[in-house]
Amino acid sequence: MRGAAPWKESRSLRVYARLLELYPPAFLERHRAEMLQNFADLEDAASSKAALWLMIGKDLTMSLVSHFFASRLGHYVIAVVGAWMMLFAIGYLRYGSTPGHPALHVFGGFLLGMLSMYVAARSYGGPQNSGYVIGAFVALILLFTIGYLRYAGPLGHPILQVLGGVLIGMLSMYIATRVYGAPGHGSHA
Amino acid sequence: MSKSGPPPLTPAVFHILLALFGKDRHGYDIMQQVKSDSGDAVKMGPGTLYGSLDRMIEAGLVARGDTQDPRRIYYRLTALGQTTLRAETERLSRVALVARRELKKRVTP
Repeated sequence: MRGAAPWKESRSLRVYARLLELYPPAFLERHRAEMLQNFADLEDAASSKAALWLMIGKDLTMSLVSHFFASRLGHYVIAVVGAWMMLFAIGYLRYGSTPGHPALHVFGGFLLGMLSMYVAARSYGGPQNSGYVIGAFVALILLFTIGYLRYAGPLGHPILQVLGGVLIGMLSMYIATRVYGAPGHGSHA
Repeated sequence: MSKSGPPPLTPAVFHILLALFGKDRHGYDIMQQVKSDSGDAVKMGPGTLYGSLDRMIEAGLVARGDTQDPRRIYYRLTALGQTTLRAETERLSRVALVARRELKKRVTP
């Protein structure tokens, strides 16, 4: 085991340093230097780059998911997705499979919308500060309106259902980031 | 198991406690020790390790040592950590004993 000599700035280490930004700032404040040192040690000892990245990829995924679901924002997302599933199940039981496909389209779009707003908020530090996010939001509303007008407004076209879902998802995550703070900016309990 | 007691530890927490028993270690050292103790079965990356350590510090099982170098922070077991490790080892031994007995019973005709 080596001492804490200055790091060899390999490309892998630089990539890992960028990936670390996905963790909450408070966590990074405590452990960034240690994690980079550990990565450098692991890189020295690794039999191959592939083995190293396989291990790091698994570790990042598991620990980021664990951080997210331990946060208040994560609880909110679980509650919202749970509520959607319940609504879908009730609709399915009450009305049979007839509205099933549109509901699935909307749900798929909804998840996509939440995820994209989450990534945007994570990258840009909050939708309220980001022209990019507002631009994407406006573009989606425009697309939805054009589609709605073009297809005579029955909301029957699958693309419209997905777009509608994306909008609701983005809005839902926007509200969450306003209430609980942007991900990684005080949202983690 | 109706006895009320602390809930079983996760494998990661148990292995970290075990790695720190009797010796203060820094992150990479803990990872290597866990790997060795588990016979390569538990491979812990930095994200998992420090997430677990944060929770363990909060629970009073582990304490951070005073270190000048932020890249090599040493962690040590607290008295509560030692007690917890011993209790969990006892629990696992009892479970292993029951499992061995049951397996023997079912294998032998």
